[in-house]
Amino acid sequence: MAADASVPTLANRFQRPSVVGALGMLVVLGAAALLLKNLTVSPSRFFEVTLIGLTTGCVYALVALGYTLVYGILELINFAHGDVFMLGGMFTITYSTHFFGLHSGQGFAIVPIVVATLILSMLSCGLINAAIEFVAYRPLRKAPRLAPLITAIGVSFIIQDVGLAWKGPNYVTAPDVFPHTKVFSFHGVDYGWNKLIVVAITIPVLLGLLYLVQQTRQGKAMRATAQDKDAAAIMGINVNRTISFTFMIAGSLAGAAGLCYSLYVTTVRYDQGFQLGLIAFTAAVLGGIGNLPGAVLGAVLIGLIQTWNEGLPWHMPGSDWTQSIVFSILILILVFRPEGLLGERTPEGG
Amino acid sequence: MSNGNAATAATPILQLSDIHTYYGSIHALKGISLEVHDGEIVTLLGANGAGKSTTLRSINGLNRPRQGHIRFQGRDITSVPAHEIVKRGIAQSPEGRRLFPRMTVIENLEMGAFQRKDRSEIKGDMDRVFELFPRLHERRTQKAGTMSGGEQQMCAIGRALMARPKLLLLDEPSLGLAPIFVERIFDIIKQINEQGTSILLVEQNALMALEAAHRGYVLETGRIVLADSAESLKTNEQVRKTYLGET
Ligand SMILES: Nc1ncnc2c1ncn2[C@@H]1O[C@H](COP(=O)(O)OP(=O)(O)O)[C@@H](O)[C@H]1O
Ligand SMILES: [Mg+2]
Repeated sequence: MAADASVPTLANRFQRPSVVGALGMLVVLGAAALLLKNLTVSPSRFFEVTLIGLTTGCVYALVALGYTLVYGILELINFAHGDVFMLGGMFTITYSTHFFGLHSGQGFAIVPIVVATLILSMLSCGLINAAIEFVAYRPLRKAPRLAPLITAIGVSFIIQDVGLAWKGPNYVTAPDVFPHTKVFSFHGVDYGWNKLIVVAITIPVLLGLLYLVQQTRQGKAMRATAQDKDAAAIMGINVNRTISFTFMIAGSLAGAAGLCYSLYVTTVRYDQGFQLGLIAFTAAVLGGIGNLPGAVLGAVLIGLIQTWNEGLPWHMPGSDWTQSIVFSILILILVFRPEGLLGERTPEGG
Repeated sequence: MSNGNAATAATPILQLSDIHTYYGSIHALKGISLEVHDGEIVTLLGANGAGKSTTLRSINGLNRPRQGHIRFQGRDITSVPAHEIVKRGIAQSPEGRRLFPRMTVIENLEMGAFQRKDRSEIKGDMDRVFELFPRLHERRTQKAGTMSGGEQQMCAIGRALMARPKLLLLDEPSLGLAPIFVERIFDIIKQINEQGTSILLVEQNALMALEAAHRGYVLETGRIVLADSAESLKTNEQVRKTYLGET
């Protein structure tokens, strides 16, 4: 029934001649024109900034996926997720420098160290995230939706305080170990190894996640639990364990993002997770919350928009306006297309 | 209030004794005792809100009784968690069908076999479900949430069968279906039973249910008020008045 109905709805959406739609088109066209102008003013700069945007987008994608995974299964916006990402950065610095003695100028010796740190960070953040669910969200599973949401904000503050107590109020620096030498040049623009490494860590993690969710037994259990918990239980799925597992995966993605971020940007502070978390959350909503490819698409778009805004030379608003732009996107999406770019409009909102 | 005791020599496959189940402080089941014997179709009749679905939710572990015992094949399953129940051999087509709306028909059927270890035999079982419901075969790659009510009902029954249950719980399989579908569904229920699966059938359509069943129980506000063979229930005056719409 709904299949027949959805065809005309989709058509309606494009045919509807509304003022709002026209304004939206105008904004998108204006932004496109601005980008095109920048491209002609300085193609090399445009290309360089775009590559940086893709790298940033990769880190956002790892974090955005965590929001979307958890929302998909519990319909909970885990506000503490950004702070788990921050902990991932802290773990990375602690493990790599204190345990493995990572420092700049080690050559290829950094490879096993970075890989070992990645695994440890992912594990630590995964366990912490699962513990947060167990302690803070599970007891509220049957409570009204607002209760776990407020709890999530509380957990976010608690984790920030833990970060503050652990690493202090100042920026913690990570050794700058990713080589900045160029991988290739294009129009006089160098693409550095440090960016490629971030992408090279992100893409296998993303592919692994897609494989996990789409092909494995655990992934099937996750999808079934997300769609109907009681029905999943009578199929023989341990719903609580599946939810723990989902938090574990979301947390380990945040751990991977924490590693990429701390080694690429080389500084982390206790309160950084909150802001980056909100940006990543916006990315997840933009792509369609609950939708995995959507989160990646949204994250890459937000990463590009941010770096284009901050890095292009010709009449861009500049970094002072980044947050305003990102959150304007969030508001516009929530108002005009709450299902996001790739999300489906379903009766139950999932 | 007893009859249909012909089979009591063997232990029943399912036995509820004095079950009390609550929703918070609402006392939904006030001492339910019933039995299903091997090979039987037993129907549970009653008006809306009588506690039929709650009885099934007590059996399958979704709503654990506060008092009383449930035995399946002689073993106590009262406090076995929901996800373990299907492994013991009880599958359910729940009230409202509860398919996975964004999964295809095939994926839904596969979910029915989620806990099975004999992976190699699942394909054959799916073919058998498709034989039973040719319509599902036509729709096999369609998302379950986009199908008609009747098709979803078939899928829900098929999904339960994929678990190869010894006992099948069916909650209002005819609800909201066109009359032609209702007849089909009841034919299939009888067919499944003839192939050796015991069935506990919850229905509001008392006439059809009593045609199919061997025995029946009548529930009223959380209590069993009548228990008899289907034949006798069909001619029982109270049942005829209340559930068969006679005056
Ligand atoms: N989720 C629930 N929360 C509170 N009360 C419930 C819930 N589900 C059912 N009930 C109550 O339990 C009683 C039995 O309901 P149910 O088993 O669904 O009846 P039936 O399936 O026979 O129509 C009813 O009085 C109903 O109001
Ligand atoms: Mg009911």
